[in-house]
Amino acid sequence: MSLFRFELRKLLLNRKTLILLLCLLALYSVVGLTSTMFLIGGNDSYRAYEELAAAWEGPFDSERAAEAETIYQEVSARYGTDARMITRSVKDQPKIILAVNYHAYAERVEEYWKGTPPESAEEPYGIALLQREIAELEGQEKQETFACRKLSASLQRLEELGEPEFANALLWENLFNNWGEHMMQFLLFVPLTFVIAPVFAMERSSGMDNLILSSQNGRRKIVTAKLLSALAASTVVSALYLAATFLFGFLPHGSFYGWDAAIQSIATYSRSMFPFKAWQLAVVGAVWLIFTSAVYSLIICFISSRMKNQMGTAGVSLAILFVNVGLAAMGDTVTQRLGALVDFGLANVTLIKEVFGGYQVFNMFGLCVSYPVMAVFVLTAVAAIAAFGTYMGQKSRAVA
Amino acid sequence: MKLQLEAVTKSYKSKQVLKGVTLTMGTGVYGLLGPNGAGKTTMIRILADVLRPTKGRVLYDGKDIHDVGDEYRAKIGYLPQDVSFYGDFTGRDYLEYSAALKGMEKARAKKRIEELAYSVGLGNDLKRKCTAYSGGMQRRLGIAQALLDDPEILILDEPTSGLDPYERIKFRNIISAYAKERLVLLSTHIVSDVEHIAAQIMMMEYGTIQHIYTTGEYIQRMEGRVWLSEMPAEQLMAYQNRAVISNVRAQGGHMEVRIIEDTKPFPDAVQAVPTLEDAYLYLFNYLPGKAGR
Repeated sequence: MSLFRFELRKLLLNRKTLILLLCLLALYSVVGLTSTMFLIGGNDSYRAYEELAAAWEGPFDSERAAEAETIYQEVSARYGTDARMITRSVKDQPKIILAVNYHAYAERVEEYWKGTPPESAEEPYGIALLQREIAELEGQEKQETFACRKLSASLQRLEELGEPEFANALLWENLFNNWGEHMMQFLLFVPLTFVIAPVFAMERSSGMDNLILSSQNGRRKIVTAKLLSALAASTVVSALYLAATFLFGFLPHGSFYGWDAAIQSIATYSRSMFPFKAWQLAVVGAVWLIFTSAVYSLIICFISSRMKNQMGTAGVSLAILFVNVGLAAMGDTVTQRLGALVDFGLANVTLIKEVFGGYQVFNMFGLCVSYPVMAVFVLTAVAAIAAFGTYMGQKSRAVA
Repeated sequence: MKLQLEAVTKSYKSKQVLKGVTLTMGTGVYGLLGPNGAGKTTMIRILADVLRPTKGRVLYDGKDIHDVGDEYRAKIGYLPQDVSFYGDFTGRDYLEYSAALKGMEKARAKKRIEELAYSVGLGNDLKRKCTAYSGGMQRRLGIAQALLDDPEILILDEPTSGLDPYERIKFRNIISAYAKERLVLLSTHIVSDVEHIAAQIMMMEYGTIQHIYTTGEYIQRMEGRVWLSEMPAEQLMAYQNRAVISNVRAQGGHMEVRIIEDTKPFPDAVQAVPTLEDAYLYLFNYLPGKAGR
């Protein structure tokens, strides 16, 4: 048997971890199921919503917007202005939910044309705002600057995408919330930490270091085997999360409706400059989550190779994760000051809504590089450093 | 084949565990004797390349083992003082994993595992979990692991601890047969482990090798220094605090006491045939006052 298969067995294919994976499967299934059930009332309500929404789908319609506005004003007076709150309060009234969703869509269409308010700290968005800012820069003869090129590229993308259309992608929106909110980091990354933490630390605590370090393959090949097994384990745990939340997110209503809707029709992704359909974002999102989990796993491997026990490894890894989450949750003033530390920190870079939900670009030697491309570059560099550090650590490692 | 230690020193913070050990070993069995805390395990670990010396170097055929790296480790078999196991590994898993670590080809590993399991008496137990093994069985499994790749250099740290007398003798026989054209370094504080099989015995104390001789040379040096004397139990109680006594045997109403002394301790004392154990006690001067060292 190859070293990789043994390492995989030690890390993943053993009784304890398999029991943990079963528990996680149950947890993820419940998460998928409950998130869908809280979305709208029973199956009948969803079917009714699907039928109503089908008639409203398509380009912006001002008459429908006016109708939706009237219902929204009425219902918001009772339940407040938060769309999520309203839909949860009127779960069994699909017509009201549709009106609330159309109202939110109408606001997004307005934002598409008029743009974000000037006082907003977010990336400039909207045709009029972008045109105005580009004109200002051109007036100052700064058309060759990175800022101007960045705005021009955003404008071009926005025009290519066109005005957002209304579509029913309720279940897909729910899926992307499960995959792209901070809750995912707790549900996926915390268990992953405990699965990967023993990868090197267990040898120290069990005393097996003696056997490994004195062996021919105990300094290099073992590291390759361990890193590969950690990657395999992280892929399995991520795939478990993705599959369970996907399956149990769609199962209650037995529908994949909205699979070919543009992601701009989903509130969280309305500003996305990526021309994805819902199913395409699901594929990209799944790959992204597996990729970022793999990078996080390599970071844990590095920590594990330096620590004396598994709990210490888990503690340090979780501390890094939570510090990142904490930094990302800080106000705009703080996050802007921290810049790349937040942009490429684990909290933001693992969330598909942050990476694919907007159009943040970075200046790479004068070129406009999009957030996902830059994130791939940064994460690959981090993974390479972690792997290299692990190899170096094992090379000079000695028994305690 | 030559294995050398060149002024090897190992320190942990302010404590120096090995103090400039210089040594050359060729083929044959080398016994490493010494009291607890003498630095035997530290020296063994450095030779097994699981610990780096603070100063000095270890040379394999004239080359630093750190430069030789994987190639050096491919030539060693190492049994650590404490053999550890993964909870869900069977005996066979453990040996297969060891074979994978040693880079052995699958078919050869399978053959060797069968051979060695039979040699160490674990042929019928390979399917059982290692953690369910008795201490002696775990030790034997560890020995099989060390011998797996037919290593040129075999380093064994207290290999017989936990073995019963039969297993101990069997182990000695395996090692004797194995040692031809190879280097076996056997660290122990059980003198009989090395007495009959080691070509050279190193006695270590306070982080340095104090003596290197053959068993015969040690015994020769003890000629005229081992005495047998009879005394009542009450006298023995007082006497044993100021003398090195290697054995006491009750005989009738008296005690037959084996005393290690440069001169005849009592007029009625008679000379006895010395053993390696006597030499060990003599050289390390095992007086009760020093017992706490």
